[in-house]
Amino acid sequence: MTSRCILQTALLVYFSTTVLAVNYDLLRFQLSSSSVECQNLLLQLNGTTKDCIKDRMNFKFPEEIEKPQQVQKEALLLVTLDIFQKTSDIFRKNLSSTGWNEIIVNNLLEKIHWQIEHLEEILEKIKEEENFTWDDRTLLPLKRYYLRIVRYLKAKVYSICAWKIVRAEMLRSFFFLDKFTNYLPN
Amino acid sequence: MLVEVTEDVTSLASGGPQTMFALLGATTLVLVAGVPWMLPAAAGGTNLKSPQNVEVYIVDDTFILRWDRSSPSVRNVTFSADYQTLENDTWLKLPGCQSIANTKCNFSSLELNIYEEIKLRIRAEEGNNTSPWHYVDSFTLFGKAQIGPPKVHLEAEDKAIIINITPPGTKDHGMWSLDSSSFTYSLEIWKNSSSGDRRTETVYPRDKIYKLSPETTYCLKVKARLLPRKIGVFSPVYCIKTTVENKLPPPENIQLDAENRIHVLKWDYAHENVTFQAQWLHAYLKKIPGDNSDKWKQIPNCENVRTTQCVFPKNTFRKGIYLIRVRASDGNTTSVWSKEEKFDTQFQITLLPPVIAVKSTNDVSLRVYISATEESENRAMNHPYSLTYEIVFWENTSNAERKIVDKRTDFTFPKLKPLTAYCVKARALIQDEKWNKSSVFSDTVCEKTKPGNTSKTWLIAGVCAALLSIPVVVYVMKLLFRCIGYVFFPSSKPPSAIDEYFSEQPLRNLLLFTSEEQTERCFIIENTNTIIAIEETHQTDGEHKKYNSQTSQDSGNYSNEDESSESKLSEEFVHQETE
Repeated sequence: MTSRCILQTALLVYFSTTVLAVNYDLLRFQLSSSSVECQNLLLQLNGTTKDCIKDRMNFKFPEEIEKPQQVQKEALLLVTLDIFQKTSDIFRKNLSSTGWNEIIVNNLLEKIHWQIEHLEEILEKIKEEENFTWDDRTLLPLKRYYLRIVRYLKAKVYSICAWKIVRAEMLRSFFFLDKFTNYLPN
Repeated sequence: MLVEVTEDVTSLASGGPQTMFALLGATTLVLVAGVPWMLPAAAGGTNLKSPQNVEVYIVDDTFILRWDRSSPSVRNVTFSADYQTLENDTWLKLPGCQSIANTKCNFSSLELNIYEEIKLRIRAEEGNNTSPWHYVDSFTLFGKAQIGPPKVHLEAEDKAIIINITPPGTKDHGMWSLDSSSFTYSLEIWKNSSSGDRRTETVYPRDKIYKLSPETTYCLKVKARLLPRKIGVFSPVYCIKTTVENKLPPPENIQLDAENRIHVLKWDYAHENVTFQAQWLHAYLKKIPGDNSDKWKQIPNCENVRTTQCVFPKNTFRKGIYLIRVRASDGNTTSVWSKEEKFDTQFQITLLPPVIAVKSTNDVSLRVYISATEESENRAMNHPYSLTYEIVFWENTSNAERKIVDKRTDFTFPKLKPLTAYCVKARALIQDEKWNKSSVFSDTVCEKTKPGNTSKTWLIAGVCAALLSIPVVVYVMKLLFRCIGYVFFPSSKPPSAIDEYFSEQPLRNLLLFTSEEQTERCFIIENTNTIIAIEETHQTDGEHKKYNSQTSQDSGNYSNEDESSESKLSEEFVHQETE
C-alpha cells in the first residue's frame, strides 16, 4: 500500500465527513446506545403488573410509524425526537404513588435529555442545509398516541397501576425506536 | 316609453279618445308590473348564496371561524355552522357558531381531540330560507393552530437581564399541553436609545442575556417555535433598565478540562483576595419551564477556593450535559453568578495512546498493528467517535520521518531496505468538525527487516551459474592441458604440411626420424642371365614397366612406402644393368 494510496483514502474520509454534515453512523450508534440505557433504567423501576389487570389498556402505537420504509429519514428523526421529548414529559408528571427511586428517574431524564439535545442540533442542521419540506401531519399519529397515554394517567389519577402500565408502554415505544434507527441511511 | 306613448297619443289624436285611454291603461299596467322587476331582488326570494372565503383561524386556545358574505346587504341574514369528526358521520352543531349575524364566530368551547381530523360546514340563513352548505376541507385543530405570544418577566442585573418566559397557551388541556416543554424561544433585544443593532438569541425559558452595559435601557421581544414548522408571533415589547455596575464582577471564561481521572475547572478573575464558589446543574432542567434555582448543586472541592481553579474527581459527573456557574466573594459582597457554561461529558475525555505491534515479513516489509489498551476499550463504549491514527515511521539511523494519518489499524510498509532497523510510534486522534482531541504518542517500537528474497535469489542464481559453468571449465581445462602437452610433451608425428613438400622417401628419411629403421635390400648378383631373363620378361612389359614405375611412383605417394621404394630401387639397378 503506497503512501499516496493512504493519502487518497485519508482525503476521501476527511471530505466525506465534511460534505455529509450529518454523521448518520454516529447518530445511529448514539440512538441505539441511548435507547439501551433508557430501557435498562426503565427495567430497574418496579413494574410488576399482575395486580393491575383491570387497568390494562391498548394505547395503539401508531402503525404508520411501524413501517418506517415509507417514511423519509428527516421525518424519522423528527419522530425519534418526539418520542424522546414525550417520554421525558411523561416521567416528569406526578410519580408520588409509585415509590420509584428518584435517582433512577432523574438518571432516565438526563439520558433522554442528552439525546434530545443532540437530535435537536441535527434537525436544526438539516433545516438549514437541506431543502426538506416538512409536513405537520408527520407527527399527528404519534401525538394522538401520547395524548391517549396522558389522558389515561389523568383519568386513573396517577395511580401506581396506571404508572406501571405506562412504564410498560414506554418500554414498548423504545423497542419501536430501535427498529427505526435501523432505517437511517449510512 | 311614456314619451312614446304621449307621441303616439298626440299622433293618434285624430284616432279617437277610446284608443288613447286603452293605450294609457296598458302602459301603466306594464309599468306597475315592471317595477318589481327593475328594482333589486328582495331577500324574500329562494336564492340565498352560501358564505365565501371561509377560513379557520386558531391562535393558542382560541378557535375562530371567519367568512365573507356572498352578497353585501344589510338584511336579516344569520349564519350557522356544523362540525363532523371522521369517526362519527353525523353533523353536530358547532358551539358558538349558531345564528351569527357577524362574519366570524368563536368556537373555543369545543371539547375535541385537537389531533383528530374534523370537517366544518357553514351556511347563511334568513328566516326559513337557507343557502347551500359551504364545506371546509378536513383539518386538525392542532394543524391549523398558530403559536401565540409568550409572556415574559424581566429582572435586571448590572450587565445582564434575567428573563422568565411563560409558554403560550397555558390552559391545562390546551393546544400546547403536550408540547409546552418542546418550545424553543428566540429573542430580539436592542438598546432603547439607538435604533439599530438588534441582537437575536435563542434562549431557554429561564435564562440570562449577557454582555450588556450597566445603566442602560434595553427593550426586547420573544417568540416561540415548535418543530417542525410552527413559528409563533412575537410577544409585546418589554423594556427594562440595567442596574449600576457591581463592585465585584463575576468570573469569566470558565473552562473545564479533563485529565486522566480528574476534572480541572478554571476561570479568569481580575481582582484578588476573593474566594470562589462553583455550582452545577443538569442541563435538561433548563428546558423545563419553572423555577430551577433550587436545583443547583455544589461542586466538591470548589467551595471557598482562593485560586482561580479547582480540581474534582471525574466520577462526579455521569455521562450527560451539565451547566456550571461560578461566583466570587470578598467576605462582604458576593458577585452575581457568572455566565453558565454548558459541558458535555462526552467531550471531556482523555484519549489513551494506542498499543503498536510490529512484525517483519518475508518480502522485506514491516507490518504494523494498532490496538487499543484494555482501559481505553472500556471507555470506547461511551465514546463512539471513530478514531484516526497518526503513525510516524522512520529508519533507526536517520531522522527522516514518514507520517501517515488513517483510520485503519493494520499497515504494511513495503519495499524497505533489508536487514535495517525501523522505528514506529503512533497516537490516536479524534477529528470531528466540533472538536479535536489527540492522545500522547505511544511507546516507540523498533524492528529489523529480514534479509529478504533478493539475496536468496542471488544464491540460487549463483548455484545455477556454477552448475552451468562446470562443462565450460572442463573444456577450458582440456584446452589448457593440450597446450601444456603441446609445449612440454610434443608429439613425434610430422605435421601434414611437410608431407606435401617432401614427397620423396630418402629426403624424408633424412628430415624425419621415423620409428622404423629403413633397411636396404641387398641383391647378390650371381647370374646375369637370370637377371636379363627377368629383364626381358620385364622389357616386354617395358612400357608396362615404365607405366608401372610411373604408376608405382605415383602409387608410391599413396601406397605403402616400402613397396614403392623397393620397386624404384630395382628399376634403377635394372637401368644400370642394361646400359
